Amino acid sequence: MTWEMLLGASVAAATLRLAAPIALAALGGVVTERSGVTNIALEASMLVGAFFGIVAADRSHNIWIALGVAILAGVLIALLHAYASITLRSDQIVSGMALNILALGLTTYLDYQMYGTTGTPPDLAGLPDVQLGFLSGVPYVGDAIGSQNSMVWVMALLVIGLQLFLFRTVAGLRLRAVGEHPRAAETVGIDVRRIRYAAVLASGALAALGGAYLSLGVAHSFTDGMTGGRGFIGLAAMIFGRWTPIGALAASLIFGYGNALSTSLQGASIGDTKVPVQLLGTLPYVLTILAVAGFVGRSRPPAADGVPYETEGHA
Amino acid sequence: MTQLQGTTTTGPGAERPAPSVRQLTFQWAGGPAIPVLSVAIALVLGAVFVLLSGNDPVKGYVALFQGAFGTPYDITETIVAAIPLVLTGLAVAVAFRTGLFNIGAQGQLLVGALAAGWAGSQWATLPGFILMPIVIVFGVAGGAFYGGIVGLLKAVRGVNEVITTIMLNYTIVFVMHWLLQAGPMTAQNAFGTPASTPIGVGARLPVIIPNELVLFSRLHAGIILAALAVIAFWFLLWRTPLGYQLRAVGLGARAAAQAGIDPARHMILVMAIAGGFAGLGGMIEVSGVFGRVYDGFSSSYGFDAIAVALLGKNSPLGIVFAALLFGAFVHGGAYMQSHAGISSNLVAIIQAFVLFVIAAESLVRSLTRRRGRARKPVEAIA
Repeated sequence: MTWEMLLGASVAAATLRLAAPIALAALGGVVTERSGVTNIALEASMLVGAFFGIVAADRSHNIWIALGVAILAGVLIALLHAYASITLRSDQIVSGMALNILALGLTTYLDYQMYGTTGTPPDLAGLPDVQLGFLSGVPYVGDAIGSQNSMVWVMALLVIGLQLFLFRTVAGLRLRAVGEHPRAAETVGIDVRRIRYAAVLASGALAALGGAYLSLGVAHSFTDGMTGGRGFIGLAAMIFGRWTPIGALAASLIFGYGNALSTSLQGASIGDTKVPVQLLGTLPYVLTILAVAGFVGRSRPPAADGVPYETEGHA
Repeated sequence: MTQLQGTTTTGPGAERPAPSVRQLTFQWAGGPAIPVLSVAIALVLGAVFVLLSGNDPVKGYVALFQGAFGTPYDITETIVAAIPLVLTGLAVAVAFRTGLFNIGAQGQLLVGALAAGWAGSQWATLPGFILMPIVIVFGVAGGAFYGGIVGLLKAVRGVNEVITTIMLNYTIVFVMHWLLQAGPMTAQNAFGTPASTPIGVGARLPVIIPNELVLFSRLHAGIILAALAVIAFWFLLWRTPLGYQLRAVGLGARAAAQAGIDPARHMILVMAIAGGFAGLGGMIEVSGVFGRVYDGFSSSYGFDAIAVALLGKNSPLGIVFAALLFGAFVHGGAYMQSHAGISSNLVAIIQAFVLFVIAAESLVRSLTRRRGRARKPVEAIA
């Protein structure tokens, strides 16, 4: 094993690349949970985003349309979840799980019906990489961020934007108020349901961006269940990051690093012992459990997170 | 009043106790109307999808039925497919009864399979009457250990069991890759598919249908273990003090705590029990069907199990019927795919709709009861 395998520029680049979809899901989680709705259907939004993004790219050969369709698909899933959990005040975990199963079944089913066993076509429009030519001469940095996918930069901008939105704007304050104390928020004239709907839909769009990045940005194809639990890992990153966009990004980078290591350490050995690469694959998931269990920093969710809200007058 | 009427918003369901989706009481005796209705609705919605994707739903469903029940052999295969679903269904249901949502039946089944497969090949030369009990104990203990982790984290650190179980499902997949591809359990000669060394003859569950009756049937003695598990589930929950306490926690953790029942201890216990059921399912697959552990076998039992438990209303008989239904979907689905050109993944869509309809049904009931007072969700599962 060498330092290059642990901390090299290519590992840094891979960390960013692998962290991006998790971070996007985590941002979705931050927005929805700050408004008081738990959305474990982020995985579902991601998966349909990945699939329908590819379908639209195949049909339209236009990356913007593909991206738009991906977001729309993710938002539709989120709309179902919002309707179930806000309007019907149903169990948010059951609703989310039903949507996860639906998304997996639906995409796998349609994938087979549309592309059979041959897989998605190879010449699809993809999300472009951003070449930062002026960095090419800079050691390490140039290799690490010099040619990342555009979605990685979109993710970075969204992190900053959402951090400012949540903690520096009136609308952000309202959203947080709804998640902490909906009754108090309503008393001062805030429409709790409308804000929660908006937040859940936004979370679906953010997760779908993560899914579109996986299919349109990285793989240029769709494989069944390709999100591989990243929506759930995103939720863990959100908790680990204490329900803040910047914290969620930091946590996502840790998960991304765990992922990157499982690739860079292939064939590596410590002394005479070969590193069991397959076991490294468990890193993101085990890290997630440790993060959620609070072994790496206790944190507090929004007070009204996951609790359905009933308007006073209509109860 | 039939249960069917209870699904309408204006129905007279108000005077009935309204169970939430996690607290369904033992009401199979109340009639299978709701489950049958929800399957019917799900089949119709599934048909819409088949139509939208340009296929003939009637042809598809006929092929599905033929595939599942067309010949005596198919019927036994449907039962073979249903057996692990019964066990994982029990694993989900026993947790539901205590107010926990166990999405980890998949992982628990795999750990049970690995433990049983290890024991079965480690002591392969032992005679059956010694080896079989050992293998069963290893399978149950493996699953119980994996489920117990979830209960422990929930009880001690307040970790939502949904996140933990999902993460553990993924974790075991990679551990399995390691064990069976480059680890201590890897077989040298497995015909290209990563697998463990075969288990001993004494660890194999025999086929119980003679060739003269159904040629090449694979229906194995695991069906007896599954039946015993169903009885154990019933006996535990409705005939023991522990079962009473578990159900009390499920109906209201705070009230149970007031009555001197420690919800934390019961969470650990029930998740271990749930894992034990799923682990036994894994053991049965290894001992009854494969004879060794294949890498990546059984990919969807976990999600299927949720639908089985909810459709069966978390009751013993209900789970058996629901498992047979989904076993038919699983076995018939392959035939549908090859003969009607409709992906067997249609089954997953139908499952999701079943889940929706059942959730909506209990929801509508709780709404009709809710008038006039706000009700908070059960604390234990928040």
